[in-house]
Amino acid sequence: SASGSEEFNRPWNTEPVVREGLKHVSEGCVFIYCQVTDKPYWKDPNNDFRKNLKVTAVPTLLKYGTVGIFLCWNECLQANLVEILFSED
Amino acid sequence: VKELFSSLGTECYVLELDQVDDGAKIQEVLLEITNQKTVPNIFVNKVHVGGCDQTFQAYQSGLLQKLLHEDSAYDYDLIVIGGGSGGLSCAKEAAILGKKVMVLDFVVPSPQGTCWGLGGTCVNVGCIPKKLMHQAALLGQALHDSRKFGWEYNQQVKHNWETMTKAIQNHIRSLNFGYGLSLREKAVAYVNSYGEFVEHHKIKATNKNGQETYYTAAQFVIATGERPRYLGIQGDKEYCITSDDLFSLPYCPGKTLVVGASYVALECAGFLAGFGLDVTVMVRSILLRGFDQEMAEKVGSYMEQHGVRFLWKFIPVMVQQLEKGSPGKLKVLAKSTEGTETIEEVYNTVLLAIGRDSCTRKIGLEKIGVKINEKSGKIPVNDVEQTNVPYVYAVGDILEGKPELTPVAVQSGKLLARRLFGASLEKIYHTLFWPLEWTVAGRENNTCYAKIICNKFDHDRVIGFHILGPNAGEVTQGFAAAMKCGLTKQLLDDTIGIHPTCGEVFTTLEITKSSGLDITQKGCG
Repeated sequence: SASGSEEFNRPWNTEPVVREGLKHVSEGCVFIYCQVTDKPYWKDPNNDFRKNLKVTAVPTLLKYGTVGIFLCWNECLQANLVEILFSED
Repeated sequence: VKELFSSLGTECYVLELDQVDDGAKIQEVLLEITNQKTVPNIFVNKVHVGGCDQTFQAYQSGLLQKLLHEDSAYDYDLIVIGGGSGGLSCAKEAAILGKKVMVLDFVVPSPQGTCWGLGGTCVNVGCIPKKLMHQAALLGQALHDSRKFGWEYNQQVKHNWETMTKAIQNHIRSLNFGYGLSLREKAVAYVNSYGEFVEHHKIKATNKNGQETYYTAAQFVIATGERPRYLGIQGDKEYCITSDDLFSLPYCPGKTLVVGASYVALECAGFLAGFGLDVTVMVRSILLRGFDQEMAEKVGSYMEQHGVRFLWKFIPVMVQQLEKGSPGKLKVLAKSTEGTETIEEVYNTVLLAIGRDSCTRKIGLEKIGVKINEKSGKIPVNDVEQTNVPYVYAVGDILEGKPELTPVAVQSGKLLARRLFGASLEKIYHTLFWPLEWTVAGRENNTCYAKIICNKFDHDRVIGFHILGPNAGEVTQGFAAAMKCGLTKQLLDDTIGIHPTCGEVFTTLEITKSSGLDITQKGCG
């Protein structure tokens, strides 16, 4: 999941929903949490997140290695949707 | 009927139509919503049961008693069996209208073991991957033509099957995911299990681990769709593939035999040949049965000119494996339908595209008395898609007798035949044309063909539209809407053509078939 720091973001508190959702992941699944660092880096259209991971919004919850299997913004706060993403095999 | 209900201890609300002022109007509306002209016309808990006979039938089968229970006794308001194009749209709509809905979707693996996610045939093994592979083949042709248009590059153009299928499967996976999300967002319960009826209003859902769960609902929609048919010959299920397997085949199919004459067979043969593969099509009798046969023949000759080999009037009788592999080697023995000739040939892959069968025989319909057409497996329904069992509806490919083509398109073939015998009801305008994207590339010999059919006795109304050429689907859509608005030959002629396009040719059609004049067009206009 990619998330911005509190200063420039609306405070999406996805942590409780994501932690709950992690109970549904399959064995061997790896969860990576990373911050997109600061606002100037995020705004740069050539940053690694935009270019390589195709992430255009924070927060984003995505399945690495796929195109189109992701949730963003308030979708990350909906436990039922997060559960679907984490149940993907 | 009144006595029947009183014997069941049920109070009825009776509306005597001959005792109210708008009785006749009510009877009209009843006909509209229930397809029933007669009285008594009985409804129980908002479900239309029918007339006197049907009500007694429902009582004898136990159905009436079930209907008399409160809706809240059921787990769901609606259960949809099948999560394809029909099932999903139905489920979502019902949920929007406030119903408690469940969708069951389960893909029985193909004989080759292929499986897929939520969304049905179109998304997983039909329209979507087909169009993507078609696009891949077109891009290959564009690359070959590009040098004539001045593009210079040193690399040889070749096609990597694995790269393509991986990209296509990723796209499909994201569509499956999207469907799952959109069901969840509308609070539709989705279960990845095989649903079958066990008794009235109750189904058994079996998941891939064999676990069984039972669910009940006030109403059901069957949307189980179809699966490819097999030949019933030795080696067909063990060694042949179908469209179920082709779009996720992990290796290039190589030298391929396509058995069939349907649009599925021809479309697959088309894009496989477009990738440079050696493709043969084995046809039992005619191409594209049910389609305009003049167009079908043109499609066939076009494909033959472009390197697809046709074996006319043959059927396979045996498939043997010579070598295992990815792909392996298969030997096919076929016999002629017109004599004793047999042929034996070796292919890497055999793709069967001989038709599709409805998935209606193993879902317990006989347990609740839903009638199906025993021969075709399709389900007859009335104009509101209701089966003979009042709380069970059906939608999609499994419906019997519902036209998939407009009546006009189907008729145009018949009308053509009638013309040969004299009094023709229609005029047929046609022309050959060269689409711009092909002219420089040295494919002038491969012309395209446009044809419309007009009803002479109704202001030359356009009742048939045919085009053989690039982007045929895109061109046709707008004209289809125009036909629905009552397009006539005059209106078409009065329309200014957009130049240069393929579609504009329809605004300047002049030569009729009956005139026998030369239709070859030169240059613009």
